[in-house]
Amino acid sequence: MATRVLLVEDDERIRQALGLALADEGYDVVETATGEEALDVVDPDLDVVLLDLMLPGIDGIEVCSTLRSRGDLPIIIATARTDTADVIAGLEAGADDYVTKPLVAGELSARIRALLRRRRPAASPDADDGAPGPPEVRLGELTIHPGRQAVERHGVPVHLTHTEFRLLSELVSAGGDVVTREQLLQRVWGYDYFGDTRLLDVHVRRLRRKIEPDPDAPTLVLTVRGSGYRAAR
Amino acid sequence: MRTALLRRWRAVSLRWRVALAFGLVTTALAGLLSVATWQLASSYMLEQRERGATSQAVVDARLVADSLRRGSDDLPTLLVGLTGEPGTTVLLERGGAWTMAGQPVEVEQVPTVLLASAAAGTPSRQRLRISGAPVLAVAVAVTPTGDLFVRLAPLTELDRTLRYVSAVLVAGTALAGLLGVLLGWWTARRALRPLTDLTDAAARMAEGDLRARLPTRHEADLAPLATRFNDTADALAERVQRDARFAGDVSHELRTPLTTMINAGEVLRRRRDELPEAARRAVDLLVADVRRFHRMVEDLLEISRGIQAPDRHDLEPVDLAVVAENVPAALTPGGVLEIERPAPLVSADRRRLDRVLANLCENAGHHGGGVVRLGVRRRDGWAAIEVDDEGPGVPEELRDRVFERFTRGPRTGRDGADTGGTGLGLALVAQHIHGLGGRVWVEDRPGGGARFVVALREVTP
Repeated sequence: MATRVLLVEDDERIRQALGLALADEGYDVVETATGEEALDVVDPDLDVVLLDLMLPGIDGIEVCSTLRSRGDLPIIIATARTDTADVIAGLEAGADDYVTKPLVAGELSARIRALLRRRRPAASPDADDGAPGPPEVRLGELTIHPGRQAVERHGVPVHLTHTEFRLLSELVSAGGDVVTREQLLQRVWGYDYFGDTRLLDVHVRRLRRKIEPDPDAPTLVLTVRGSGYRAAR
Repeated sequence: MRTALLRRWRAVSLRWRVALAFGLVTTALAGLLSVATWQLASSYMLEQRERGATSQAVVDARLVADSLRRGSDDLPTLLVGLTGEPGTTVLLERGGAWTMAGQPVEVEQVPTVLLASAAAGTPSRQRLRISGAPVLAVAVAVTPTGDLFVRLAPLTELDRTLRYVSAVLVAGTALAGLLGVLLGWWTARRALRPLTDLTDAAARMAEGDLRARLPTRHEADLAPLATRFNDTADALAERVQRDARFAGDVSHELRTPLTTMINAGEVLRRRRDELPEAARRAVDLLVADVRRFHRMVEDLLEISRGIQAPDRHDLEPVDLAVVAENVPAALTPGGVLEIERPAPLVSADRRRLDRVLANLCENAGHHGGGVVRLGVRRRDGWAAIEVDDEGPGVPEELRDRVFERFTRGPRTGRDGADTGGTGLGLALVAQHIHGLGGRVWVEDRPGGGARFVVALREVTP
């Protein structure tokens, strides 16, 4: 079944051209021009949302946080400029990745594929030898179930998006060693180069808000200045 | 001749001219005072000495006259007693015969004019040199018959004193002149400091630092200059920003049609094999140029952004080894990586640093046959990244220009072949690196080719 993409873009020509090119790449594209319309048409069959941040009416940031509050549907935001507060705001609102305009179908397709890969459990070194699945891992008060992509604190589920879960898994599987930002950007988002460290930093912030007892004084996901992050041993 | 001198004088800096003028005036004043002092002091001292020597000679002559009158035989003893201080000579002429005591001299050395004048009845004196030493000769008539008494007193001590005084005066004059020059230099420096500030600010501006301003001054003479300069600088900066904003706005507006073109082009490219030959070639041309157009618009946007707002909020300590190792192999095919350990840390915006390195590598690919070495090392107190290629190198006269916008490599112009660059890559490199307070230049690579060097200030973690 083809991947269903919701394209939210107010400019008629861009919507048409992008829709055409994405359809040509094999996606099933649903097009909407406004945020209101987008929130109406969202259904469980959608695989990913491509969201322009500059929309008439409800703006992209709001659409993003509304969608996020409803579930963990992967969201890619499209922004006009990389160095504005827009990117940070969109990521804080729950977006999984961002692309800058002008949007190119091929590049978008690569981002979508990387995003959808995160839905699958993290690859473990011995995943291929028929083992029943990676065992549970403990981090502080958390119990991580790699197979189910679930995290619990004292038996109470902690809800993470696929991206957040993948990020946590990568840190935990390093066993407390430093994982550089480049490695994380590559392993979680699939960026070989030009990965934006802000993407990572915002996700770490979001993750900490969900799993740390005190997000301002993290004890589980630690920053290694000038290098990357590591999980507590 | 005079105009040539005048021209040379004008070529001397104002500061030195003021200093020299101060020096000349003080030297002249001190010299004048010294000459006057010398005149007064030396004539007074000589006068004293001569008067003393004359009265001494008169008294001596009287003693000799008494002795002669008494007809006593102890005249030679008396004469020896009269010599007094060492170096003195006394001479007595009696009926054409000379008797001498003390320091021996040739009688011929006593001037006859002096003797004639003394014989006429007046005690006479004259300064002369005997055997190179200064001597004061006083001649007095002893008897009315023409016997003469001559006393030759050494002036060596007085001469030494006068020499000392003159040395002190000359040294004082020279010192005063030197102090005058120093004072003039210092005064001129103080007075001209605003001018130095202006020169510095203007130079920084010429180098492209539009934030250079003069400090506001309260002196009535200088306040208008500073204000005027700062207003001009503000106007210039605003104008540059307006131009940049315009370029940014244009690029921004271009992105909508660009999106349509790129994506429509992609659809065509995917169906390339279904197209007839001519259409296929047309699609290839179209897609290649749309791609370049895309990159150019992105570079232009990035350039205009950098000019508008040099942002400081994205700065963090960045390990240059990590940056260099992260460059994908596709950008440096066959190149070696040379990193000095421990690698330097710099304060930078990682995204921009990645862009800088990618642009330099792409430039080497377009114009230098590819990167042969990517180096990270410390150079003269800077943390440097070096990107080497084995191409033709960059001629001396183009080394600044390559960092300007749309300066294309010589190969592009000559055979019309497209190297794929946008003409903005190196300009963007320069802009980013200058924004980070660093320097970027190109030099010869040892062994041929070009070496692009990015130098940033090292920071401690």
